[in-house]
Amino acid sequence: MSGKVLLETKELEKKFGDHQVLRGISTKICQGEVVAIIGPSGCGKSTFLRSLNLLETPTGGSVIFEGKEITAPGTDVNRIRQKIGMVFQQFNLFANLSIQDNITLAPVKLGLMSKEEAQRRAKELLERVGLPDKADAYPAMLSGGQKQRIAIARSLAMNPDVMLFDEPTSALDPEMVGEVLGLMKDLAADGMTMVVVTHEMGFAREVASRVLFIDEGVICEENAPQEFFEHPKNQRLRYFLSKVL
Amino acid sequence: MQSFMDEFTLNFIEGNRYQYIIEGLINTLIISLFAVLVGIAIGFLVAIIRSSHDKTGHMKFANFLCRIYLTVMRGTPTMIQLLIIYYVIFATVNIPKIFVAVVAFGLNSGAYVAEIVRSGIMSVDEGQFEAGRSLGLSYRQTMRFIIMPQAFKNVLPALGNEFIVLLKETSISGYIGLTDLTHGGDIIRGITFSAFMPLIAVALIYLLLVTGLSWCVNKLERRLRVNER
Repeated sequence: MSGKVLLETKELEKKFGDHQVLRGISTKICQGEVVAIIGPSGCGKSTFLRSLNLLETPTGGSVIFEGKEITAPGTDVNRIRQKIGMVFQQFNLFANLSIQDNITLAPVKLGLMSKEEAQRRAKELLERVGLPDKADAYPAMLSGGQKQRIAIARSLAMNPDVMLFDEPTSALDPEMVGEVLGLMKDLAADGMTMVVVTHEMGFAREVASRVLFIDEGVICEENAPQEFFEHPKNQRLRYFLSKVL
Repeated sequence: MQSFMDEFTLNFIEGNRYQYIIEGLINTLIISLFAVLVGIAIGFLVAIIRSSHDKTGHMKFANFLCRIYLTVMRGTPTMIQLLIIYYVIFATVNIPKIFVAVVAFGLNSGAYVAEIVRSGIMSVDEGQFEAGRSLGLSYRQTMRFIIMPQAFKNVLPALGNEFIVLLKETSISGYIGLTDLTHGGDIIRGITFSAFMPLIAVALIYLLLVTGLSWCVNKLERRLRVNER
């Protein structure tokens, strides 16, 4: 856990009506860290992740990104989000755009790159995710694994400082999980800061530098993966691991 | 066969009566075309205001006005609206009847287009919106580049249907003394006291127009669907 703090939450809370999903989550994510978040379904782990780029507006506490409190009123949320990539369970590729346009849309429309620059970058990224021949295809023509790799490329095109993954392999057929996890592993090896909500215990154990267990809206345990999986201290975590491992 | 030719000559050739049909057809086309444009402009505007309100809670007053507009336009007959606009609203000003018709049919159609487009916006998966926003695109950019193109494609069949209805609805323009296609045919009937020829001719022309319109919409639909399997 070295490096400077990139993303921090303080006593983060989220209520949907009367239902309190997050009950005060405080943690720090440092540059280069890969943080895996696990927990039973409905525990609030996705809500926590979505609060980090304000897709969910927290009802209490604060999120601090690169030293700035982004939950403060008057924050330019769009600007912050340019630096926080997000990959969704359902891929959410833009159905009306070709793969190349999926990747270039945001950098071009936000004025970060010229069209030619963005297209060159898209080509590089397509090579990197192993789909160099798909530039002119449309999302509907791709398999789930391919869609998710394109979604990762689309996020990378913005040169984010941190990437959030919301159960990136949960909607995939089993034989496609490997290709997406492999790509994420490569990203981690390149030093990308990542926060990953996942059910892939193997990935958490192997790639993460830290694992968080969230249950009923609080962090019940957090530790380095080896200690986390081999000597879990929290009762609920032990119970959870006994069911999933 | 001879009597058919006689009838035809009587209704269309003698006294150049076919010109009533031509004049009516031109007016029908002008009214329909501009009313469609007005309808699309109003419809998209209202749909965007309404769905933005539903999504963000902003623009309460504009949304309120839109709802009143929708209630009135969809809750009263088109013919009454046409008559009110001509005899009440524009009663004291000298304005071409064709302009009145465009305003009336455009306003009316806008209400239906608005709800069609709104349903299209709602049909686009929320994930598309979130993906756009998560990349740093603004609400407006996300709507413009991602949501609206998909919404438009989804509602194209319903929009085409609305334009067909609009085209046929202009046949009540005669009630404000405007010579549209229907009225043109009726003038001939009034002169020749023969109903069959002018009415069938008018019906055939409407059929032809609607068929052409459907063909265009279908073609556009197919073109927009190339990016699907």
